[in-house]
Amino acid sequence: MELLNVLFIKPFADMFAAPDFLLQVLWEGLVSGVLYALIALGFVLIYKSSRIFNFAQGIMVVFAALTLVGLHEAGVPALLAVPLTLLVMFGLAVAIERVVLRPLVNQPDIILFMATIGITLFLVGFGELIFGGENKVMITEQLFIPTGSFELEPFGGFLLIEQKDLTAVIGAVVLVGLLLLFLNKSKMGRAIRALGDDHQAALSVGISLSTIWVLVWFIAGIIALATGIVWGARAGVSFALEVIAYKALPVLMLGGLESVLGAILGGLAIGILEKLFEIYWGQPLLGGNTETWFAFVFALIVLLFRPQGLFGERIIERV
Amino acid sequence: MRLFGKLAIASAIAVAGAAIALPASAEDSVKLPNLSYRTGPFAATGIPLMNGQRDYMLMLNERDGGINGVKLGYEECETGYNTEKGVECYEKMKAEGAIVTQPWSTGITLQVLPKSNVDKIPILAPGYGFSAMQDGKTFQWAFNPPASYWDGASMILNSIADGNLDNLKGKKVAFLHLDHPFGKEPIPLLEALAAKHGFTLLPIPVGLKEMQNQSAQWLQIRRERPDFVVMWGWGAMNAGAITEAVKTKYPMNQFVGIWWSGLDGDLKLVGDAGKGYRSLSWSLPNSESKIMKDIKQLVVEPGHSLINRDAGEFEWVFYQRGVMISLMLAEGVKTAQDHFDAKVINAEQLRWGLENLKLDDARLKELGADGMLPPFSTSCSNHTGHSGAWMLEWDGTKFVQASDLLQADRAAIDPIAEKAAKEYADANQPWPVNGECK
Repeated sequence: MELLNVLFIKPFADMFAAPDFLLQVLWEGLVSGVLYALIALGFVLIYKSSRIFNFAQGIMVVFAALTLVGLHEAGVPALLAVPLTLLVMFGLAVAIERVVLRPLVNQPDIILFMATIGITLFLVGFGELIFGGENKVMITEQLFIPTGSFELEPFGGFLLIEQKDLTAVIGAVVLVGLLLLFLNKSKMGRAIRALGDDHQAALSVGISLSTIWVLVWFIAGIIALATGIVWGARAGVSFALEVIAYKALPVLMLGGLESVLGAILGGLAIGILEKLFEIYWGQPLLGGNTETWFAFVFALIVLLFRPQGLFGERIIERV
Repeated sequence: MRLFGKLAIASAIAVAGAAIALPASAEDSVKLPNLSYRTGPFAATGIPLMNGQRDYMLMLNERDGGINGVKLGYEECETGYNTEKGVECYEKMKAEGAIVTQPWSTGITLQVLPKSNVDKIPILAPGYGFSAMQDGKTFQWAFNPPASYWDGASMILNSIADGNLDNLKGKKVAFLHLDHPFGKEPIPLLEALAAKHGFTLLPIPVGLKEMQNQSAQWLQIRRERPDFVVMWGWGAMNAGAITEAVKTKYPMNQFVGIWWSGLDGDLKLVGDAGKGYRSLSWSLPNSESKIMKDIKQLVVEPGHSLINRDAGEFEWVFYQRGVMISLMLAEGVKTAQDHFDAKVINAEQLRWGLENLKLDDARLKELGADGMLPPFSTSCSNHTGHSGAWMLEWDGTKFVQASDLLQADRAAIDPIAEKAAKEYADANQPWPVNGECK
């Protein structure tokens, strides 16, 4: 009886007893979810166009953020450092396509996956060599990202919303909107989708594989920079940011590797649900730190019923 | 051409990597490796410490030609704070003739601890590792001077309780810790003290993937309203916790960290908002001391150091603590050389040296480090030294000394340490115990 109480009654009673705290939990979950979705988007775009699971997405976040901060430390004004960082990410995309991907065309997926692990190791060493491994302060104010907070009193309680979190949510929504617009309305966007649907057919109508690969890796670089700015503003820029990329894995399992919508909704769902579970069930019942596994277990349960994820493509093969 | 380009890049990286090591010929040197981590999620906290260790060794080689004419072969093996890689590094360094293991992680320490009896290479884990290593009779090859984690936990509680743990009765103490052997290490002592003195201990673990996103942990702190938050953080966890504490407006004067949670760089992220945050420390930075002046003159200014001078790393608590760590090791080497009347000592001789450290005020002054380390000595039964520590406080720009030398409650710790050492030995039979040590 006690077990039923702590599982099904007490958590909801706590939510109703302190609705302002519940709102805070939901807000924190939403912010985390948006950030997970951003990272997952980087994976999805590359997978969609090339069937490569890009293990390097996490280190790209670190590399982009470090480049931005590093350029600023070298005396480049913040607003100029952003386009210069994008230029570096473009150069990285070109280099990856030329040096790593092109020689591996037609190789099995696992080879390409291993190649992205190689890219990760290279960027870790190269980044450390250039920027050092110290924690750096993100140039939040120089980028005109507000750093104050809104203190609200819903239900007579207390709700704190950091302006940089709010900016992150709005920025992510705008970025995703632009990305969807690009993918659905532009010629290049359609080419990316065509390549994702059928490589051979896309190549036969003259779509350039190398151009598209450079483009998607560059877009993944843009997303990496946005993610790096947002996460870096929260707790500094260091190689620890790479670890956050692993949080995108259950998002991809849940949303499906090929679906942009899946990445967004999967990210939001996991962000909010893991926070609710941790606060109302994990901490009181399991001693906390359930966020390290909750998302994986949740995604696993979903996969039992939908092996392709919520929005992934169902693969039907004749045997 | 493409192949040539790739080879050129690979060669450049290999040369750059090799340049970090400090080679010395086998005839006139002792190999003192460091299982370092300059990459990965813990690099930010590791780098200044390792820079300090490296620069002290460089300075001794430069100024004195090493110790008694023997060059100090300081060499790093990168672990990324990963236990498996740490064990690989241990094996590699052992094969290359290492006379000491500096594991730099409680996880790695626990892995190599059973090997130390067989390989007969002393482990030096200053201020970290398994607290029961203080029992030198059981852990003959392991040293954790000048203070253990249990010493640290006791000193922090004594400090927040104004010297009497009964003052904590009825209060709630949150223990925010990395969910890792390092973070869990003081829990047995904290639980025992909570039961004895009637305060509530609230352990709050932070997973490795959650270090930079601790909103759930700090929501719990907001809900539970603990009287104090004690942090056992490392790497990116410290910066994450401090920024969340500022965000949730938790009173900084009720927030205290262990000595590894006091990195200047982390506090600089929040600046003035971090005023009042305290961190225990068994080292005190003093850039005007002779030892630091020598390092500046012989290592930093000629450009041999890897420190970030623009960030003011030379002044940081962690950099100068790294110097103190190498000072302890160098003193172990010298003690062994003097005792055995040998120049190039072996691992067993170094073990004796580390077991007979005597860093009193006079010796620290002679070394040019007076006031930077509390005086302590080790013995065959006491491999920690239990020097005590100071409380440092962040003033908005730097850490300043905020207490006299604190001491741990030996009556509370020693019986638990003795029991833990016995349990460890029983669980790892056959485990040799030093019967000659009284």
